[in-house]
Amino acid sequence: MDLPRPEPTERGCRLISTNQTPQCLPPNASSTPRLHVVYKMLSDSEAAELLSFLTPSTRPDVKGKATEYILGMSGSRDGCRFLRSNPNLIAALFELTSDPSVAIMKDCYHILINLSADETLHQVLVSEVKVLPVLLKNLQDPEYLFSDQISTILSNLSRHEKTCRTVFKVLQDEVGLPKLVELLCNESYNKKAKLHYLGPLLSNLTQLPEARSYVMDPDRFVIQRLLPFTQYEASVMRRGGVIGTLRNCCFDHSHHEWLLSDTVDILPFLLLPLAGPEELTEEENEGLPVDLQFLPEDKKREEDPDIRKMLLETLLLLTATKAGRQALKQKNVYPIMREFHRWEKDVYVAATCEKLIQVLIGDEPELGMENLMEVEIPQDVEEKLREADTKEQEELEKEERMRREEEEEKKKCEQTD
Amino acid sequence: MASTDVQDDSDDGMDAFMDKFKSQRYKNAFSEKNWEQEFNKIPMFMKTAPEEIDPKQYPELACLQSIIHDEDRPPEEQARSLKDEGNAYFKEKNYKNAVVAYTAALKKKCGDQELNAVLLTNRAASHFHLGNMRSALNDAAAAKKIKPDHLKALIRGAQCCMELRNFSGAIQWCDEGLKPHPTDNKLRELRTTADKQKRAVERDARKGKAKEKKLHGEKEALLGAIKERGIKLFQPISSCPEGSEGEGDDESPSAGIAQLNLDSLSSLEVTGAQVFLDEQGTLHWPVLFLYPEHQQTDFISAFCENNSFGDHLSVMFGEELPPWDTERKYHPQNLQLYFEDEENETLYQVDAKMSLLKILQHKRFFVKAGTPSFMVLAKDSSFWKQFICRRKIHGL
Repeated sequence: MDLPRPEPTERGCRLISTNQTPQCLPPNASSTPRLHVVYKMLSDSEAAELLSFLTPSTRPDVKGKATEYILGMSGSRDGCRFLRSNPNLIAALFELTSDPSVAIMKDCYHILINLSADETLHQVLVSEVKVLPVLLKNLQDPEYLFSDQISTILSNLSRHEKTCRTVFKVLQDEVGLPKLVELLCNESYNKKAKLHYLGPLLSNLTQLPEARSYVMDPDRFVIQRLLPFTQYEASVMRRGGVIGTLRNCCFDHSHHEWLLSDTVDILPFLLLPLAGPEELTEEENEGLPVDLQFLPEDKKREEDPDIRKMLLETLLLLTATKAGRQALKQKNVYPIMREFHRWEKDVYVAATCEKLIQVLIGDEPELGMENLMEVEIPQDVEEKLREADTKEQEELEKEERMRREEEEEKKKCEQTD
Repeated sequence: MASTDVQDDSDDGMDAFMDKFKSQRYKNAFSEKNWEQEFNKIPMFMKTAPEEIDPKQYPELACLQSIIHDEDRPPEEQARSLKDEGNAYFKEKNYKNAVVAYTAALKKKCGDQELNAVLLTNRAASHFHLGNMRSALNDAAAAKKIKPDHLKALIRGAQCCMELRNFSGAIQWCDEGLKPHPTDNKLRELRTTADKQKRAVERDARKGKAKEKKLHGEKEALLGAIKERGIKLFQPISSCPEGSEGEGDDESPSAGIAQLNLDSLSSLEVTGAQVFLDEQGTLHWPVLFLYPEHQQTDFISAFCENNSFGDHLSVMFGEELPPWDTERKYHPQNLQLYFEDEENETLYQVDAKMSLLKILQHKRFFVKAGTPSFMVLAKDSSFWKQFICRRKIHGL
């Protein structure tokens, strides 16, 4: 296929119009089904009564009923609001995460997951109930049964910058980021939990410059250890979290040269999940990074379109600097992207791929504009670009809708045949 | 007390000994001739220690050694002395003796685990320099077991793995080392190199596989083309019993191809020429011409299957006759071609105007050793007459 050659100004804007700040990953709600039961809001006296059941000395069956009831309540928005105005209930529930009954512990953890999925409760959980120190302490226990739930709560709490700062600070005091990375990179740290959600947690934490500067500390070996997880097959969460972390790191263009150098060699790890089994010519193969040369015919691509998009965005970020563009061009990224574009069905991902290809085959921007992240854009131009972006988005949505309809048509036809 | 008595005695003896020289001269003094040699025998002035310490020749040295290696001292002290000895050897790059010393020290089985870890690490270093990578790795692993954060052992382990080209192992050692020493330069450097090497090895494996696959595909296409034309390859009876041949072919072509392996295609000729399929799907065979009269041969490395014998013979004999043809009778128009059916001991006469393909497809033609061969004789010569009258001849 022929890809349109880009105009230099357009290329600049593309990049700037993609999200300019490091991001967090979407929240995770508990796997517990949200019950569609309308809970009658409790009066103050009823709340007080409920609280009296949530003490360690209460009979286990009564306690169990109470936590079960609150778990159901925490699944609804109104229930969350009710709990927000009763922080002493949350504190009591949090106490019960160390209850002798595993069932009660589990209920309490799931309530916390539901609560942490609601942004308005973050401050209550972090500042009033102060859940972080205990959660982080338990997380380090290699035998702890609910480390997965803790990881989920922490990743939920770290989504927004304000609470993320608090999470980061407490984490640094209690555990330290090195330990967190160690837990993330050690698949068998806890035999009773998988700890996949530490991926999104790290990704969320790296929206903070302090966390990024640790991950990219040239005197340490952190990012290098994360890189192999871009192809981690056992969990889309861990994989996505690591890739999100890498993308966040690539927002710091001052590190680009280091990231692309032999010490880190980030490029093959971003490209491998996008590379397929297509046979390239000997010449094309020789120009690629070694890990991408002569891939077997059963090579599979990343199956999650969101992750594919994140990988492409990371590559796009790397093309913001002159050194980055040169490295990508020199390492023969183009044939990989060419084959990828041929294969990609998702219109949004394909559109991102096109942007990257435009940079790869385009001319260098004029002098003084080499760093696309530092180019100043006049306000009127920016507005126009924003308009163009919205328009493009709409067009893509239309395209995607059409593609879906077509697919359904096809399915129908197949059925009637 | 007894001991003081003894001491008094010896003092007396010494005094008497000294007193003796008031009246007579000391005889065993160093002379100008031998002072250097004598000095060398005294431990303090020795320039180099002797290889073997003979108590008779170097009594003082032997004394010192027995003090150092006194069996009565606690094992820790003995081990430490042996370690010093090993370190001294190591400095001199005498790694063999260093290994001996460290081994002796370890045999003391002292309770100081820190010291044992150091001894093992040092012995690992000595083995490493001797090139005994396995022993070095074992020692490093043993040291790591005693002291998991012992940096030198961790680095040594990684280095040994590198030398043994076990790059995954090296990475594992480095990762273990980076946990307690996250900023150590050497470990980071080693890990980067190991990772790079590992990935290169993996690439080479993939490349080899791809190449093999391509070769296999070509081979299959070639054998397919041969089969499709109904050309029969002569199977050496030892490797393939005739009974199974036909059946196997029909049931699965790839099994048939595996049987018709390239052994039966590779030419015995030194030239290494082999039948090949060109891009247009035409086969080119290496072909051997035999001239029984003169016991000569000609070899054509790529005879296109669509060409006729006439085409080649006119080039080979048209312009210039071969030097061995002293009687000048091998003119293209005079030549008679035959192929041999060994099994039936029959000769088939070949029409020079026919294409190679036609002849190869003949029901009694078998390609032997990957190279079709033909006999060429000059018609009406006496040799020819003699030759054909002794054999059964068939026309085509």
